[in-house]
Amino acid sequence: MAQALGQIQQSNFVPKKWQIINLAVLLVLIIFPFVAGTFQTNLMAKLLLFGILGVSLDLVWGFTGILSFAHGVFFTLGGYAMAYYLKLNLSATANNYGGNIPDFMVWNGLKELPWFIAPLQFFPIAVIAMVVIPAGFAYAIGSFIFRSKVSGVYITVITLAIASALTTFFVSQQAYTGGTNGITDVSKLMLFGMVVPPIGIYFIILAFAALTLAGSWWLTKSNFGLILRSIKENEQRISYLGYDVASFKIFIWTLSAGIAGICGGLFVPLNNFISPVYLGVAFGTQVVIWVAVGGRGTLFGPIIAAILLGQLQNSVDRITQDWQLIVGIILMLVVLFLPDGLMSLLPKKLLTSSSNKKLLASSSDQLEKA
Amino acid sequence: MMNSQGSVLSVKDLKVVFSGFKALKGVNLEVGKNEIVTIIGPNGAGKSTLLDAIVGKSPVASGHVYYQGQDITNKSSHEIARMGIGRKFQNPNVYNELSVFDNILLALKGTHGVFSSIRAKLTAAKKDKIISVLDRIGLLEQGYAKVSSLSHGQKQWVEIGMVLAQDPAVVLLDEPTAGMTADETYATGEIIKTIATSHSVVVIEHDMEFVKQIAQRLVVLHQGEKLTEGSVAEVQSNPKVIEVYLGREQINAA
Ligand SMILES: Nc1ncnc2c1ncn2[C@@H]1O[C@H](COP(=O)(O)OP(=O)(O)OP(=O)(O)O)[C@@H](O)[C@H]1O
Ligand SMILES: [Mg+2]
Repeated sequence: MAQALGQIQQSNFVPKKWQIINLAVLLVLIIFPFVAGTFQTNLMAKLLLFGILGVSLDLVWGFTGILSFAHGVFFTLGGYAMAYYLKLNLSATANNYGGNIPDFMVWNGLKELPWFIAPLQFFPIAVIAMVVIPAGFAYAIGSFIFRSKVSGVYITVITLAIASALTTFFVSQQAYTGGTNGITDVSKLMLFGMVVPPIGIYFIILAFAALTLAGSWWLTKSNFGLILRSIKENEQRISYLGYDVASFKIFIWTLSAGIAGICGGLFVPLNNFISPVYLGVAFGTQVVIWVAVGGRGTLFGPIIAAILLGQLQNSVDRITQDWQLIVGIILMLVVLFLPDGLMSLLPKKLLTSSSNKKLLASSSDQLEKA
Repeated sequence: MMNSQGSVLSVKDLKVVFSGFKALKGVNLEVGKNEIVTIIGPNGAGKSTLLDAIVGKSPVASGHVYYQGQDITNKSSHEIARMGIGRKFQNPNVYNELSVFDNILLALKGTHGVFSSIRAKLTAAKKDKIISVLDRIGLLEQGYAKVSSLSHGQKQWVEIGMVLAQDPAVVLLDEPTAGMTADETYATGEIIKTIATSHSVVVIEHDMEFVKQIAQRLVVLHQGEKLTEGSVAEVQSNPKVIEVYLGREQINAA
């Protein structure tokens, strides 16, 4: 009996073996850029970002049951915030189109920097915008859809509509967004008066990934995470216990969009451009695939899937152009034979149990009192 | 104030319509402090619909529900729950994917806001409370088990445990003993009597033995209307009740 209740408490802790594996993986990722070349370092940094973008979707889909195709949108909004900053800070020598506003604005007949873009030339404002714009946009949509009677698959349909609508909008506003090409040829990221080298960007991204993953783990293991899981299973029941389900959904949706926005912001110095491609349903579907292949509600799964699929694509691209076909086949195989994703291949014990004497002792005390 | 003297819960001329079908045709119900009101009636009488309307689940066409004098007719479910009305559903409405412990933890009385739940810690006091509830519903040993692995009767207990943990002023129980053995049914009756020493309780039941065990005041619903109400003896001897409900039960039993 005491053991039974001891196990319940385990859920709040990171099991020892899993901790060790995580530290080992982190160590490998820290050494990685020193042994791999610049190409692999950049690729790995990009895949880590995609993985965390998957984690942000996992919070709303895997844990809360809201399937979204709009995470590419939140990612891209963060990306544009950073891209404007980098574009507006091109050094005079790199700026060879003559004028103090970005090239695409000149080509589209703008004479002055629009007032709503101008503040983004300042680094702190750009960094805040990279989080607040996607999160604010998500909050606005979330307050509307989660408080309405809309639910389930209709929410997903709305996220598809948002992705398409924003793609069209960004493409149409060429003078402000750079149209289909997006914002290209941005400057290198400078911090403390120095250009940040690829390895520096890699470590910024690694730190962000580790922190986000740890924070998400903690959040989903908290009482709040339990509420998310109950919303996923049956959102009505919990409302009769006094929980305002909409406010929980809005919170996790907004938080998730903020994380996606940071991913987008960090993606730009790596990728050197951002474009409406990342707003679209195709990219939104990619994110869904990382989560589905890695395993919903696992947090680690989407990162593993993004890295494996990304590395696979990198090697396959040299042989064939039909990458999308291969992804399609992998997705089908996973859905059919591994519905809980790659993470379900790990032994269950690794993630849940391992005895903890102190806890067992404390819960047997509780039993005596009961 | 509209509510009758001494009523904790007061339902006034309540009508519920489902796309043209009148499920409740103007029902009145008064529930006093620390009182047990038992609702009986044939299938489809509108018993569950009445509880649904009280907790904000059914669409109320007209009429009112008052809780301690306050009109709660158009409040949302979570507001009604926070005010102090708890509900057990007809089919155990529990979280199958979660452990018994977590089901009880979710139900624990508290503020239940987003930020308070992020900060919330599983304190010794909470653990004590959960363990005492688990003990009361006889599921201490299954505390860690996923609810999906339990029997129908045990799931009923889990939901009763949730109501105990929620500790609402008004407890609404929809057929709490369905799927239970005779012994379990009796034990449930005793728990309900204990609850009623400090709570108002509304119980929907079909099992007349059980009704006799717990009943103080009986309300009979039939086709969306209140047929009669009174003590067990009064209701049992009412010819209308025998015709639409009890008579048939006896025939079924035979
Ligand atoms: N959501 C709904 N939509 C349409 N009709 C409904 C709905 N809920 C209940 N009804 C109908 O309202 C009537 C009353 O149903 P209710 O569940 O309240 O009966 P009950 O008295 O609880 O019966 P039982 O003893 O079978 O549980 C039934 O005819 C039922 O079909
Ligand atoms: Mg019913």
